[in-house]
Amino acid sequence: MAVDEHRAPRTTESDDARRLVKARRPGFGIGLLKGMAVTLKHLFKHNTVIQYPDEKQDLSSRTRGVIALKEENCTVCMLCARECPDWCIYIDSHKETLAPKREGGRPRKRNILDRFAIDYALCMYCGICVEVCPYDALFWSREFEYAEYDIRELTHEKEKLSDWMASVLPPPALEEGAEYPGSPTRAPEVADGAAAPVKPVQAEASDAAAGTPERRGAQAAPLGTGGRPADAGAPKEAKPDVGPVPGRQAEAAPAPEGAEPAAAEAPPVQEEEQQAAPSQEQAPGPEPTAEDHAGPGGRTETASPEVLGIQMGAEPASPSPRESTETPSPEVLGIQMGGGPAPSPGAGEDAVGAPEEAETRTPQEGPDPEEVARLQETPGPNVEVPNEEPKPTALDPTEDPKEVYEAVLSDQLAKGSSPEVAEARAKVARVKAERGIARNPGVATKEDS
Amino acid sequence: MFDITLATWQILVIKIIVILTVVPVGALVGGYAEHKVMAHLQHRLGPMYPGGFHGWATTLADGIKFLYKEDIIPAAADRKVFSLAPAAIMVPIIMTYLVIPIDRALIVEDLDVGIFYLLAVGSLSTIGLLMAGWSSANKYALIGALRSAAQLIAYELPIVLAAVVVAMLAGSLSLIDIVETQNWPFAIWPPGIGFIAFLLFTVGAVAEMTRVPFDMPVAESEIITGPFTEYSGMRYIFAHMFAEMGHMVAFGGIGATLFLGGYQPIVPIPFLDFIPGVIWFSAKTMFMIFLFLWIRPTFPRVREDQLQKFAWKFLIPVGLALVLVTGAWVLYV
Repeated sequence: MAVDEHRAPRTTESDDARRLVKARRPGFGIGLLKGMAVTLKHLFKHNTVIQYPDEKQDLSSRTRGVIALKEENCTVCMLCARECPDWCIYIDSHKETLAPKREGGRPRKRNILDRFAIDYALCMYCGICVEVCPYDALFWSREFEYAEYDIRELTHEKEKLSDWMASVLPPPALEEGAEYPGSPTRAPEVADGAAAPVKPVQAEASDAAAGTPERRGAQAAPLGTGGRPADAGAPKEAKPDVGPVPGRQAEAAPAPEGAEPAAAEAPPVQEEEQQAAPSQEQAPGPEPTAEDHAGPGGRTETASPEVLGIQMGAEPASPSPRESTETPSPEVLGIQMGGGPAPSPGAGEDAVGAPEEAETRTPQEGPDPEEVARLQETPGPNVEVPNEEPKPTALDPTEDPKEVYEAVLSDQLAKGSSPEVAEARAKVARVKAERGIARNPGVATKEDS
Repeated sequence: MFDITLATWQILVIKIIVILTVVPVGALVGGYAEHKVMAHLQHRLGPMYPGGFHGWATTLADGIKFLYKEDIIPAAADRKVFSLAPAAIMVPIIMTYLVIPIDRALIVEDLDVGIFYLLAVGSLSTIGLLMAGWSSANKYALIGALRSAAQLIAYELPIVLAAVVVAMLAGSLSLIDIVETQNWPFAIWPPGIGFIAFLLFTVGAVAEMTRVPFDMPVAESEIITGPFTEYSGMRYIFAHMFAEMGHMVAFGGIGATLFLGGYQPIVPIPFLDFIPGVIWFSAKTMFMIFLFLWIRPTFPRVREDQLQKFAWKFLIPVGLALVLVTGAWVLYV
């Protein structure tokens, strides 16, 4: 009689020997009868075969069947086409000029998608495009029956890709007690040194917002569904530090202002910061000190880790309204996609204000009514638009692309991004560096001025 | 009942037609049963489409497909022997049907030496297999033919010994007599003896049919299809498929007759007499066939040397001992 060795736990030699002796003992054909009993049992068991063309399997909600396109969300940022390892995404677009929003304003420009095609003969279904899309334009659909008789017909255009959008499932329901993605609670801690350990988590959260519906679900319930180790571990550590202390809340509003000068300051300082940051992030949160409550002026010289975090997690928006309308924040998009309520009354009116609010929220805590009210009252001089791609601003745009790549990679890894995402972002940064594009337009603008 | 008097030749023609209908139909039904039963034993569905209802026409469609295929004879083959071999395999199998009693009066010929005839005819198909393997001019076919010859001889003996036990218990070689003696089937009574003889017969029958786990002669992973490697089209189904299925139905009938009481009720209760003997016989035959089908997906194949050792070192000694015990039982009980 054979022993179920693959199921048996690791055993000692004596155990094995004993089992061998037992197996060699004459069984008088009992094993044969046992075998026949097994097959006979299956004869009477309910058959679970699914006769495919006639009946269809209920596939998992995370099935990677085909990639669907939500055309109206696409901003032709080309990230998917660039990240595609097979180069199987073809995008054509043109720019369109729109009338200025206000009288005397600048005419706005918008990218119009002309062609979006995926060659499924090349696609290897890695899903990087879905992951990397910052505007929730690409989704996994469970549709899988799109075989063609000719390989050329496997290049599906945006009409077909949009049709598949209909088969994309709505994002799964949030876990019980989970934070709604749009709840603004992050504000007080932004300026607070005590909140330093939360930074990577926050970065993760904004990642999640930019990802697939499933990712958004993960963001909403960081304690339960953290997709990455960093997600799962960090919030618990961070929790005691981010409690809504009234004193800190008072500091909240001016904080981003304090951050901006820091960003505009000399890059070397921040480079030091960048190296210092990971170790500090690992450590349990330091106690809030008087220094932390110092005014913005005191911060420029000694930019604390969380200031860096702000810069990494959120790119300061360019002041022009054009940009803010052109690239709505992913958070806002995420909320719209999720079918949830508008972020807050104030945000809907002021496109500039909304992202700021989004930036300052955290998924770790429940919404504090006081805070919400305060945020709504805050006029919003801080034009911090969160960028879905946290980038280190410390690096000079004219740097060597290879160095940029390494720096971004290590930075991303230190912040708890998964190696794939970190590498993807590092590649984006390298491409930008190669083309001489400043990775942080906000900083560049300030420097120019 | 019937006032029809038929000439001997007319009766003969009718019997021939009946047998020549029963064997292919039995093979087709057996083949379908094999597909479906084996599939369900393995938690599959088996064929579901041909014919519409649970793929009932699968074997029919299969057979027609084979009829359409080209009949290829290799250039190096011995043409005459090669073409005759399927018949040499098939004819002895059909001949075994002649002496199996389906009911008291429903038998082609009640020979006095029924069992002897069965065993003699049953070993004839070995010649057909050797013919097929030798004439194919193919080393796999030759290896397969030699393997099957060795196997059929080895496993003929346990069957012979089991049949001897039955003949001793019944005191006759006629199959009708054997059935009539079985108030209780031999597999149940005398206790132990009959059952062990039944097991010997079943194992020997599975090996005679060269079915898994004793399928070394046609081991498709080693020697393609053994003696049938070079056969195609119609000759292939006659030599292999029809032969195997016909063999299976024949052995089912023989097993039912010798050990399960043939057309008699399974237990001697007068109440059960109203069920016709044909139904008893069919049910018992089906049970035997199910047994053969059940064994196939359950057990792994044995190696050639294990197969020979099992027959010569275990089954035959057991059979011989059983003959001794049966003699004692017949003499003293």
